[in-house]
Order: sequence, then structure tokens, then C-alpha cells
Amino acid sequence: MFKTDAKMTADSNADLGTRREKMSDQDRANILMVDDQASKLISYEAILGPLGENLIKARSAREALHHLLQNDIAVVLMDVSMPDIDGFELAEMMRQHPRFQKTAIIFISAVHLTDVDRIKGYRSGAVDYISVPVIPELLRAKVSVFAELHRKSRQLERLNSELERRVEERTEQIRENEELLRERADLLELATEAIIVREMSGAILFWNAGAEALYGWQREEVLGKLVHQILKTRFPMDYSSVRAILARDGKWEGNLTQTTRDGQEVVVACRKALKAGGNAVLEINRDITAQLKAEDALRKTERLAAMGRVAGIIAHEINNPLEAITNTFYLLRDHPSLDEEARYYAKLGEEELIRVAHITRQTLGFYRESRHPVPVSIPGLLDEILELQTRRMEFSNITLQKHYRSRGTIQGFPVELKQVFLNLIGNAAQAMPAGGTLRLHVFESSARHSRRPAVCISICDTGIGISPENAKRLFEPFFTTKSTKGTGLGLWISKGIIQKYGGAIRFRTLSLGGHNATCFRVFLPDAEFQKIDEPSGVDLATSSAEEIVEGSHGR
Amino acid sequence: MAADSITILVVDDEKIPRALRSLILQKKGYRVVAAASGKEAMELLVGGVFHLVLSDQMMPGMTGTELAKAIKSIRPAMPFILISGVNEVPADASYADRFVSKVGGPDLLFNTIAPKY
Repeated sequence: MFKTDAKMTADSNADLGTRREKMSDQDRANILMVDDQASKLISYEAILGPLGENLIKARSAREALHHLLQNDIAVVLMDVSMPDIDGFELAEMMRQHPRFQKTAIIFISAVHLTDVDRIKGYRSGAVDYISVPVIPELLRAKVSVFAELHRKSRQLERLNSELERRVEERTEQIRENEELLRERADLLELATEAIIVREMSGAILFWNAGAEALYGWQREEVLGKLVHQILKTRFPMDYSSVRAILARDGKWEGNLTQTTRDGQEVVVACRKALKAGGNAVLEINRDITAQLKAEDALRKTERLAAMGRVAGIIAHEINNPLEAITNTFYLLRDHPSLDEEARYYAKLGEEELIRVAHITRQTLGFYRESRHPVPVSIPGLLDEILELQTRRMEFSNITLQKHYRSRGTIQGFPVELKQVFLNLIGNAAQAMPAGGTLRLHVFESSARHSRRPAVCISICDTGIGISPENAKRLFEPFFTTKSTKGTGLGLWISKGIIQKYGGAIRFRTLSLGGHNATCFRVFLPDAEFQKIDEPSGVDLATSSAEEIVEGSHGR
Repeated sequence: MAADSITILVVDDEKIPRALRSLILQKKGYRVVAAASGKEAMELLVGGVFHLVLSDQMMPGMTGTELAKAIKSIRPAMPFILISGVNEVPADASYADRFVSKVGGPDLLFNTIAPKY
């Protein structure tokens, strides 16, 4: 019934051997051989052995079903004629089970036409037949094809599930990335810096909350608009140079001057970078306006301190001989040996010397810093300041009216008090570029709440006035209406000094028929003041005119 | 007390300013004894009768305020006036009773001394 395997060459045997070695247990296909005759099973086993697959033997259809259920069978090799359940019946049963619908079946049968017809009737799945006598090579080839097919489809399944796993992994990664991106977007919104992305043309693509806060423009208002047009950017160099550096280095750093929505100028430390691909610019701007002003104020303070030290040294070197010469003239003035003419010369010399002494007190003594409070005459202090301002005020066509109704002596530090009134008088004079009247009143009053006796100094001008919006911010540090000329610290420092004395500073600005009057009033409490006249209660600010603004600062 | 019964101890390391300051005080009627240093002033103070000390601040050896501290430790009631060309009041000026600027002129000096007598 079996032909000998004459065509099996040594070479192909070697091939099969190699293949068997290469195949792992997992790769090996299960081949189920079903025949009621044990001898046939043994011969199939011998024929198929070289394939290196896993051979399972079943002596009946029932046993075959048992194996089918337990193992993943690649090919079923079955004898058509078996007692009890024959091959066709077994195939029928298998086909009804979804798991076995695609399992390859090879029928082994004596050639009967009817059998061949029936076999051809199986359209679905892999079905083949081998007629008896079995040609070992043919059987091996057919089984091998089906086993290979099975292996391939198993591999495909594995690849598919691997692919699914990868897709799953990738999806998870994407989800994580999205999470990260959301976090980063949140960070962008959290930053106090203005973070802007714009096209090369300048059209704004992104505008974070920091930019909204800094510039006052909401995102939806600026998206698509030209950034430098909106912010009126001024560059520290030619804009074409900025572009050139950006193109060459991919980044640029520098300070920009920009304008906020409400018209305020801000200085920002700017860092720009070209986005990958070079079609957009990323920009981070940090507001350094206050920092720059503080640094500037510090420099000025340091300069003043240095000037003070120099002034102190010069004062000492000049004042010592000055005292000696002054004393000489004092002795000379009434000396009996002098005739009329010599006395006249001595008088002239003494007068000029008084001028020199006066100047050193005014200028070199200006920076002196006393460490203990001394009696300070407020009218005297005001006169000293006015003397320095006289020429300037005459030049500006400013008329001065003084009403000192109190000696106004308080315990204090002359330098800082002088600073307060120099500020207020200076501001008043600057508010009258086209001339006007400066009124100074010193009178006795009492502090508003404590009822302690106080010296009240009122400084009024007929200048340009103070607008209500500026009035609100007048005592804020770095607030200035003088653009680059002012530090914006004058009134703030003055208020601090006055508060140190337990005093208060208030202002009112009045406007009537195109005429303005602005009055600053300073209260400085002191127990030891002395009256010259009865306090008259002259009170310019509360007189008739219509009141617009009242600011009250201090205690 | 009349001016001529008041003796002032004038202390200054610089000879001419010391002499001139002494002269104007004498012309005003005060009696003046001069010392060229804090050390000399302390020695004179122990042996003599003085009503007031008028001392320069910036002197080598002992400064005006150091002298004031030393004097107040032995004569707490001795009036002490500090006179200086530097318009800055020294940190330890509180040992002195008063501080007067050199450029205030003779009249300011007399006015500073007078209330003490």
C-alpha cells in the first residue's frame, strides 16, 4: 500500500533536519492523524516525521475530536473509511464547529468517484485528498503546505495582536503627551511674563495671560494683529538688525520700550527665538520698568550721597579758615586805630565774607545729616529754599506771596525737612511754566485727629492743576507726570518723611473758569511752637472755588 | 552773672582759629583760657575754675565729643559747647550740650553761649 520513499534525497533530509532544529516548540504545527488502523498511523508517522512537526495520533473520530478540542491542530489527516464515524462524518462535525471551520483536512481514500465528488463538495476551507496508495512525498508535501499555511496564519495572528498592543501603547503615549501639553499650556498661563507667538509678518498667534496682564489687551482682541503695531514697540537698535540677528542666531535678547493699552510706557526685557522651521517667532517679555526706575533712583541716591561726602570735606576745609577770617573782621571792625576809610574797607570785606559764609551754608551744608533732632524754623527753612529758587522763579515769571504767621519751630532734621519743601516748592514752580503765583503760608493749626498743636504749611500754585486720574496715584512711588525728568519718588519720599514726624500731607486741586489752584498742605506736629500773631486761619484751599479732587494722605 | 566773671576754656588744635576765637570772646567780655588739645584741656580743668568749655570737634588725639565725655565724667554740670567746621553733627554729640557751626559768625556763637549764662 505504501511506496518506499525513494525520492527523499540526503540533501532534502538535511534540509528538513536543519528546519527542525530551527523550529521551536511554539513554531511546530500539530498534525492530527486519524485512522482506525495502528499500522497506518505508524507509517504516516514515519512519512511525516522528517517534517519536524508535532504528530498526534487518533484511532477514532471521537478520539480525534478530543484532540481537536485540546490542541491547536494545523492539519487533520484522516482515513475516509473508519468504523463508527467515518472521515466525512468527522469532517462534517468539524465544519459545524466555528473553531475548526478553517482547519485543513486531508482525506486519505481509495479512489472512488463518489468520494472525489464529495471531497470537491467542500468548497470552504482547506480540503484535499490523497488517494491510495499513498505516495509519501506527495503526502509530505501536502501536509507541509498546510502546516506552513497554519504557521503563517498563526504568525499573522501574533503580528496582528502585537500590532494591536503597539497601537494600544502608542495611544497611551499620545494620551500622556496630550496631558503633558495641557500641563505646559497651563504653565504658559501661569507665567507672569508675557509669552507671545507671532508669525514672521508680526501677526499674533498666541498671547498668554501674562501678556494680557502686562499690556492690558485681551487675547481675542490681538490675535491676528501686528504685535509691534499694537504695542508701539521701540527697539534698542534698528529693527532690520534685530531681524538679521534673529535670522542668523535664531534668537535675540534686549530691552524694548512698549506701550500698554492705557497708554503707559513699559520697558520689557525681551527674549525672542525663531520657532523650528523659521516661520514663527516665540517671544517672552518681562516687565522691568519698576526695576529700572528703582535702579535709577538708587544711582541718584548714591550720587547724592557721594556729593554729600565731598561737600562735607570741602565744607570743613573752607569753613575753618572762613571762621578765622570772619573773626578777624569782627575784631577789625571797631578797632580804635582805624580811621573812617579803613573802617569802610573792613565793612565791605566783612559783608562779602558774610556772603561767602552764606553760600557755604546753603550749598555745602545742604547735604549735612544730623543724627539728633534740632530745632528747625520752618519759615527759615522755606526762605533758604526760596533763595535757591529765586532766580528760576523770576525767570519763569512767578510771583511769590509769603504769609508766615507762626515762627513754626519744630524739633527735626533740617535736611529731610528741606527735601520735603524743596519738592513741594519745586513741583509748584514746575507746574507754572507760563508764570503764576506761588503762595506760601505758615500758620498754627492742630493735627486733625490728635488735636495736637501743629505747624501747618500750605504751598499753593496757579499752575496746570492735577487731573483726577493722576490725583489718585500722586503719592505712589515711581509715579511721575514729568516723563523722564522726574524720578516719581519726590512726593512718595516726602510723604514718608512727614509721616515719620507724625504729620500728614494733603492736597486739593481746584478748577474754576479755566483757572486752576493746587494746594499742598503739610501738618507737622510740635509741642513747642511759638506764636507771632494770632492764628488767622487763612485757608486758601477751602475758600470759595469749586472743588474737584481732594486727596488725603498721612494719618 | 556778668560776662567778665565767666571763664571759658577754648579748645582747638589750630593756632590761629584758636587765637581769633579767644580774642572775639575776650572782646565780648569773657575771660578765656586756651588749650591746644583735649589732653591739655583736661589738665587745665583740674587745676582751674571754668564756667564753660568751647571745643573744636575735629582734633588729633582726642576729638571734641571724646573730650566732652571725659569732662562730663568728672564735672557733669560743666556746660560744653561743640564748634565745628563740618556741618554734620557727630554721632556721639549728645555728650555736648550744644553744637554750633563755625560759619554762623560771632553773633551766633555769642547767642549759643549766652543762654548758659
